[in-house]
Amino acid sequence: MEGFLQALAAGLLIGAVYGLMCVGLGLIFGVMRVINFAHGDFMMLGMYVAFYLFTAAGVQAVFGNAVGPFIAILLAGPVLALFGYFVHLTLISHVSGTRTASLEGEGHYAQLILTLGIALILQNGGLIIFGSVLASIRTPLSSSAWELGPFFDMSIFINKARGIDAVVSLLIMTLLSLLITRSRIGKSLRAAADNPTAATYMGIDVDRAHRTAFALGSGITAIAGGLLATNYPFHPFVGLDYVIVMYAGVVLGGMGSIIGAFWGGMTIGLVQQMSTLILPTQLQNAAIFVVFLLIIFFRPQGFFGRMVERT
Amino acid sequence: MLRIEGLSAGYSAKPVLNGVSINIDAGQFVAIVGPNGAGKTTLFKTISGILKPSGGGISFNGVDLLAVPPAQRAHLGIAHVPEGRQVFPSLTVMENLEMGAMTESGRRDWAANIERIFAWLPVLAERRGQFAGTLSGGQQQMLAIGRGLASSPKLLMLDEPSMGLAPSTADFIFERLIEIRRQSGLTMLLVEQRVAEALESADHGYVLEAGRVVLEGNNETLRADDRVRKAYLGM
Repeated sequence: MEGFLQALAAGLLIGAVYGLMCVGLGLIFGVMRVINFAHGDFMMLGMYVAFYLFTAAGVQAVFGNAVGPFIAILLAGPVLALFGYFVHLTLISHVSGTRTASLEGEGHYAQLILTLGIALILQNGGLIIFGSVLASIRTPLSSSAWELGPFFDMSIFINKARGIDAVVSLLIMTLLSLLITRSRIGKSLRAAADNPTAATYMGIDVDRAHRTAFALGSGITAIAGGLLATNYPFHPFVGLDYVIVMYAGVVLGGMGSIIGAFWGGMTIGLVQQMSTLILPTQLQNAAIFVVFLLIIFFRPQGFFGRMVERT
Repeated sequence: MLRIEGLSAGYSAKPVLNGVSINIDAGQFVAIVGPNGAGKTTLFKTISGILKPSGGGISFNGVDLLAVPPAQRAHLGIAHVPEGRQVFPSLTVMENLEMGAMTESGRRDWAANIERIFAWLPVLAERRGQFAGTLSGGQQQMLAIGRGLASSPKLLMLDEPSMGLAPSTADFIFERLIEIRRQSGLTMLLVEQRVAEALESADHGYVLEAGRVVLEGNNETLRADDRVRKAYLGM
């Protein structure tokens, strides 16, 4: 029982961060319908940006080892958003949005090759620049814990760094959902996703809406990456491990549902942690995909997906 | 207001429009009628910039429209109520109307516009919180019209507002359009397959066949024309 509660707590904490990571991709896929294979590598860049902001750019010196990492991680968001903005402007926009009308297969083939190419460049460029040594954003918080309880006679231990990671994720998720549901920009993003042609008739610049979504999605995933980096060491090829989880989360949540992607990521985090109760840790990721297939078998449209394709 | 001169357009090598010239003055209600495949929707898409013409020109209030990017054309005052309604299904009725009001004039006049739209199309007020995808066809059409009106347009373009609707619903839509026109004096351009209703509502008409204007005139002239009577009015 104690093990179960402990795994549940660990699953919820990591699930919140996975959720945020998936939302970044879900936003891009939901608005643009572009499959971005480089998204994991954008996250890897986010991890390194947070790492260097913390260690080399003086955030550690100013804010110390407890608050510093989180300041650096939050700053990595805008940096990667800017990076995403320029990647869209210079590369992605040529094979997506209003340009797709003149491309074969609605531009999906070109998008596939392009984003795979970007992924390779980022991975190998990362290897040259950052080296192959494992890096991590170290904070003393990741080796201390809060004790919750005792409930009856059991206590749950919450790793401090993971606890703060989850809170930061939920905060950003709340801000994002307010932006998407309430603000004029958010509504125009959803309109552009629903029907790009009609959105153009309304005077919405669809390519610009896509660029906004791409920048926002990149920044959000970068923050999620930074949060993960407080507990998990990383290297230039780490994106590959996470991009699969991201896509599983987006599909679970329902393709095109931005909020759904969060719950997809949360589910994956929970399954990953809970599976350790009955399975050896090497099978964590296998468990994720067994549950993934089961859910998709019974609910092919995902949690929040609509069966009817958008008109 | 809108001058179309010698416009040719189409998909890849197949021309759909062949030297079409149409002129709409401020305050006019112009109908373009013709059979399926005559190029009516292609004409609208070219005006809105979704399609690039292969020849000819379009000017709107003296502005060369072809030099204006598609998304900017709404901001000049052109509202396009597209074929098949094309409301935003995952947005609510109110959010759809807000999307109509993305233009500067639409934002400025939002409060007054929304009051008028709800008065003309009360069903939108009743269902303001409902997702547009769950509305019936007729309600979606009214939403598409309301969304167009929310931009405070100078020209309202309506592409087959009766498409796929029950005859009584279509009649209601036409009746509403005439009422909106009467109260607002808005310039309207209507494309329709229901020739009788379209010519009845409008004060000027063009007959488009196989990408060419074959006939033009005010509604009495057109309705009295032998070819129109035989081909479209079943008389």
